[in-house]
Amino acid sequence: MSAREGTKPIGTPSTYEAREKRFYDAVSLTKPDRVPIASFAVFFLTKYSGLSNAKAMYDYDKMAKAWKQSMQRLNWDMAPLHQSVFAGPVMEITGLKAFKWPGYNLADDALYQYVENEYMMADEYDEFLADPGSFTIRKGLPRMASVFEPLAILPPLPSFAFGYSIFTVVSTFVGIPGFPQMMETLIKTGREMNRYNATQARLVKDLASMGFPCITAGFTFTAFDWLCVLLRGLKGTMLDMFQQPDKVKAVVERLIPYTIGQAVAVTQMTGNRRVMIPLWRGAAGFMSDKHFAEFYWPSLKQLLLALIEQGITPMPWFEGDYTPRLKYLAELPRGKVAGHFDRVDKKKFKEILGNVMCFWGDVPPQLLVTGTPEKVRDYVKGLIAFFSDRGGLIVDGAVEGIPAEAKPENVEAMTEAVFEYGVYQGISEGQVQHEIRRGDN
Amino acid sequence: MAEDLINTLADLKEKEAVKIVEERLSAGEEPLKILDDARGAMEIVGKRFAAGEYFIPELVYSGELLKRINDMVKPKLAKATNVKPQGKVVLGTVAGDIHDIGKDIVAFMLDVNGFEVYDLGVDVPAQKFVEKTKESGAPIVGLSGFLTLAYDSMKQTVQVINDAGLRNKVKIMIGGGQINEEIRKYTGADAYGRDAMAAVNLAKKFTGKE
Repeated sequence: MSAREGTKPIGTPSTYEAREKRFYDAVSLTKPDRVPIASFAVFFLTKYSGLSNAKAMYDYDKMAKAWKQSMQRLNWDMAPLHQSVFAGPVMEITGLKAFKWPGYNLADDALYQYVENEYMMADEYDEFLADPGSFTIRKGLPRMASVFEPLAILPPLPSFAFGYSIFTVVSTFVGIPGFPQMMETLIKTGREMNRYNATQARLVKDLASMGFPCITAGFTFTAFDWLCVLLRGLKGTMLDMFQQPDKVKAVVERLIPYTIGQAVAVTQMTGNRRVMIPLWRGAAGFMSDKHFAEFYWPSLKQLLLALIEQGITPMPWFEGDYTPRLKYLAELPRGKVAGHFDRVDKKKFKEILGNVMCFWGDVPPQLLVTGTPEKVRDYVKGLIAFFSDRGGLIVDGAVEGIPAEAKPENVEAMTEAVFEYGVYQGISEGQVQHEIRRGDN
Repeated sequence: MAEDLINTLADLKEKEAVKIVEERLSAGEEPLKILDDARGAMEIVGKRFAAGEYFIPELVYSGELLKRINDMVKPKLAKATNVKPQGKVVLGTVAGDIHDIGKDIVAFMLDVNGFEVYDLGVDVPAQKFVEKTKESGAPIVGLSGFLTLAYDSMKQTVQVINDAGLRNKVKIMIGGGQINEEIRKYTGADAYGRDAMAAVNLAKKFTGKE
């Protein structure tokens, strides 16, 4: 089965407002009229409508059509972030080195993937700390995309001393080898990006008129991951944690306002008050509890609290096993954070976070890709039963939401099960115990 | 003195460990013995990792310390000595997936545990695993993958190994963030490992070293 035009939607219809309320009821730990279902599926919707991942990234109109068609059929409470299907042509024109993607240098049905490199070297901490903006423009950008390579030759940015040197600045720009070509390419990039943005803006409007809110305004990163994934890479950062820990902490500290600013910017651009925060390197397998408390948690907590204070709902995406970290999350205010979980001990979750945070997840990818509709249905039933005493459940897949490789019939079964069992009626406690044992894998 | 080096290195005390190595080298000690101790320290590191005392930062750092000590000791070795490896392993991240963190840690742990690792890198086509297995005669193939798309790539790689007539000559182990027993069955691999030490234990089991 796949999404075709005119296919009957699963479940019952809802209004835009009803869906928003349902979602926030779950986040604030009250019982909604029905358990909401909301996913971050990147390429599932397009694949479900018959598009390859490459096509989805290169044909904006087809992508938008597929998004609407699949949402029409699946009838989820929130539409996945459309911008997570990046614009392939834009990436290609800029000569982006920080990603590999389908339709360019990966197979047509691969997921686009970030290339984790040292975009900042071990001896560049001081330079970054002295002026992150200058570093980003002169060092970071040229290393991440070939279009920006001419920027590497610029002097430190503060040396363009406003009125006194404005003429020098202009002549410098034109005189730098490769600069005029860079400007031309950037204009081309901008035009392409406008085309993508226009299609995406229309898509958001169309989805809203169909009654589907968009799940998130966009994303930001937490400071440690910003350093570890986006700047230094895993190996570099982890050596730095031993060899220059104070510098690691200083950069993490320095990045916090940017992590908050990025989130505020996307909410202002879209009017959507929800921001996703993918979390990578703080999970149980990655670092010790001691390192988590020392290097990871303080800046993440500051980010979450700052967003809550501004009326933004943070959606931390706890990738990996977060069971040992639940005690830290218990420091957060009640019902303000939409925590998305991948692998976590649900009993411990309930004990430690039951009165703090909703549970968003966690139908395993193994089940969605290789399982059967019956098993998926049982899992969802068990999940709903387990949280039936308190509400605060939002159903989705686990690590990447719904993987593109998920069998359509399994995703349909998952969706149907939410409509069938999600009304918090007729599930007894005995059944709860039974179901969760089966569901726990 | 041997214990001093083993313990300081296992405790990741860089300065002390380097100092001990310097002292032992200038005292004219047999360089191979120093390398043996370093290897012993790495075994402790591996055990602490398996026990949940050490995590990725400690593994990465221990790898760096080992490299540093190797660089100090190697010039003093009379000639390259060939320790007979425990066994050979062909390793790589399967087609379509470019994640290398897990694979690199597995390669490192296999290496310090005496295995000869043929690391094919990332986004490795199935046929390359076949070619390297034939060429090296390795009895073990390790397939790594982080993304869900790796399920099908692993399955296909196992199939291609099978079609090449190698299936009864090699043991295939798989691993990665989203790998479990269901996926092992799905791909047709012989075993899956939760982490790098699990890979070492599987490799030892396959080669009859344990």
